[in-house]
Amino acid sequence: MSTTLATAPAPRRTAALLDLARFEARDLLTQIPVLLFGLLYVLNTADNMFSGLVGKAEGMDAYPVLQNVDRETQSGALLLSLALLVCVNRAALRSRRQHTEEQHDVLAMGRARRTLAHALSVVPYAALSALLAAVQFGWAALKPGAAGHGSVAELAVAPLAVLLSGALAVLLARVAPHPVAPALFLVVLYLVVLVLNTLTSGAHAVQWLWPTVGEFSSDPIPSGLLGRPAAWHALYLAGLTALCVALAVLVAGGRTRALRAVTVLALAATAAGAVGQAPGDSARLRAAREAAYRAPEKLQSCVDRGGSAYCAFPEWRGWTGHWAAVVDRLQADAGGRAATVRLTVRQRIGEVFDLSSDSTALPARTPDQVTVGTRWGGNRVPEFAVGVASVLVAGDEDTASSLCDARVVTAMWLVLGSDPDPLTTFRHLRVDDSLSGSGVVLAPTGSLRVSAQQTEVVKRLLARPHDEIAARVKAHWTELTSSHTTTAQAAKLLGVRVPKGADDCARD
Amino acid sequence: MTTIVSAEGLTLRYGGTAALDGVSLRLSPGVTGLLGPNGAGKTSLLRVLATAVPPDRGAFTVLGHDPATPDGRLAARRALGYLPQTPGHHPDFTAFEFVDYVAILKELTDRAARHREVRRVLEAVDLGEVRGKRIKRLSGGMRQRVALAAALVGDPGFLVLDEPTVGLDPEQRIRFRELIAEAGEDRTVLLSTHQTEDVAMLCQYVVVLAAGRVHFEGTPAELTARAAGRVWSGTRRDPGARAGWRTGDGTFRNVGHPPAGAQLLEPTLEDGYLLVLDTRHDTTETAA
Repeated sequence: MSTTLATAPAPRRTAALLDLARFEARDLLTQIPVLLFGLLYVLNTADNMFSGLVGKAEGMDAYPVLQNVDRETQSGALLLSLALLVCVNRAALRSRRQHTEEQHDVLAMGRARRTLAHALSVVPYAALSALLAAVQFGWAALKPGAAGHGSVAELAVAPLAVLLSGALAVLLARVAPHPVAPALFLVVLYLVVLVLNTLTSGAHAVQWLWPTVGEFSSDPIPSGLLGRPAAWHALYLAGLTALCVALAVLVAGGRTRALRAVTVLALAATAAGAVGQAPGDSARLRAAREAAYRAPEKLQSCVDRGGSAYCAFPEWRGWTGHWAAVVDRLQADAGGRAATVRLTVRQRIGEVFDLSSDSTALPARTPDQVTVGTRWGGNRVPEFAVGVASVLVAGDEDTASSLCDARVVTAMWLVLGSDPDPLTTFRHLRVDDSLSGSGVVLAPTGSLRVSAQQTEVVKRLLARPHDEIAARVKAHWTELTSSHTTTAQAAKLLGVRVPKGADDCARD
Repeated sequence: MTTIVSAEGLTLRYGGTAALDGVSLRLSPGVTGLLGPNGAGKTSLLRVLATAVPPDRGAFTVLGHDPATPDGRLAARRALGYLPQTPGHHPDFTAFEFVDYVAILKELTDRAARHREVRRVLEAVDLGEVRGKRIKRLSGGMRQRVALAAALVGDPGFLVLDEPTVGLDPEQRIRFRELIAEAGEDRTVLLSTHQTEDVAMLCQYVVVLAAGRVHFEGTPAELTARAAGRVWSGTRRDPGARAGWRTGDGTFRNVGHPPAGAQLLEPTLEDGYLLVLDTRHDTTETAA
């Protein structure tokens, strides 16, 4: 018997590595945590896109602000990342757990390259994450009402977090080869960050060590005022991912020059990213936010529509037509000077302390100026209408914030009189979601208190034909917008029965 | 005859104990049986030749490749199939997935060809019908055959099998013998075993290892011949015999130095093995 000594030509080693990564990626797909959390991730993305699957349909999804939408793509990926951290770690320890190390360690693909393949096995899941982020963002960006600008670096966070979970999983498998290591690691990491947060009072640099930093407030601000170090953070995540993989491969026996170079580069990238994202809000940024809060007109340009001026931050110019439609509708039902007064609708933001805090712009004292916020759609439309109506009846927002007379009735009828479903809108406008008793109605710069008696009068007005009431409003505009006219007198002027009892508004 | 594996002075120590003590041997195509008592160093020798552990001293080549160098080790591993004494399995993998996984680790990159090869080896070990079954649902014998298929995938030129028939029932052992015999038709197989009958039935060559040293290298017939004239029948166990036991027909079979006039019996390979072990403190005997 004779055997040829010639062996097969050297196989394509990279192709073999990718084959193994594909095999492991497919195996991950059979793991229940990956399936379950992956499904939750997809559902979460769908919920964000269609904004109504879990009962939060307010209509604001038609007017997305893209500098917020990009961040909304991040948190869902943490679910998948968590599952991958556990399952990739298990897969990387499979040979150890199932005693196949001796068989597999003598095969052509050594432990270092197998480690690399495990890290690469999450690439399809990172691609899925990138796809979901792109679809979610693209879906929002393509809506006609979309405003603002997204950031590629913010969109990169979700796939980078997925890649990082795979990298951490293999590093843990090589450094602490025990199945509970990922859980212990997460607990220890959480405690370390908690302690660091406590010691540093939630320092910016510490917060940004996490893969995702949500920082959500209800009202968006111009993208130029965000001050999020998204690009540095993306570099930090990419560097940390590469560093974890490189260290895992080194521990697994990898000793090539290229690996050492990658380790050094990854360390440099991680350090650069961590340092770059650490400083927090600069004095210049804080000054710019202060300027946008105190003197937004310096950053805005105005357009004239139907006799009023609409001043918006550059990213929101596309919404002025929607604001004008509301103003026109309300002025059409108003009387006296208010029917033709030139309003200045100015977009304003609250004082920005950080991106996680909410603050509302204070009522303006400038006559005939109406504040509009940075959100639109859903309840924000009638809330803006409340702001417009308040200024039409009271002259300015500051005065309108303390009305307790016929003007509340007049303003509320202006808001609701031409609404296709006025009682539903009225209910949604009231904080208590009711249609009886006294309540508070939201407006862009605060709220308008509506007494029980005023609520009753408004409801009775809404039960009457619009044109009939509109004619009375126009005819008695002077009395209806006088601070000396009571709610009861307004009811009489508008031809509806006066509710029994005293106006509780007057008692406050 | 081509030399596929050549080893010179292999020494391996675990702490103060020498598992291998200057082992030199040459393996040619065909099945070579590695016999020896427990602790003889069989598994250590197999692990060294399978490149699982490097020797402390000595050198060896596999198909001309020197595993002491990274390139040589890689080339040797590409030519190698290894079935350890207690092979592990991935119970959640199907038989096909497990062998495919090993094929990937052997860097068989053409997917279609690799899958053909996986199917081929699974057919060869009679597991074609159950290749889609999860390993945890297979019997012990089937799992052992999955491990053999994994060792065979990629058609390695050098197959290292460490006691592959341990724990198998007689029928499974016979089937395994057939498989190993087939494997040895076109490659070099080194088979470690306690079973002298496995060696007698399968092997063209035999190496006897004891206390980390080679005590015999030759053919099974030559090992058997060591006992020619050294096996006799008696009515009792001869006190001068190295070994003696009562056989099925009630007579005693004695191995050693027969007394004058003893009724000599036809020796077996086991008799030869016993006698070689008995002289294990002597210098290595080479029959060839």
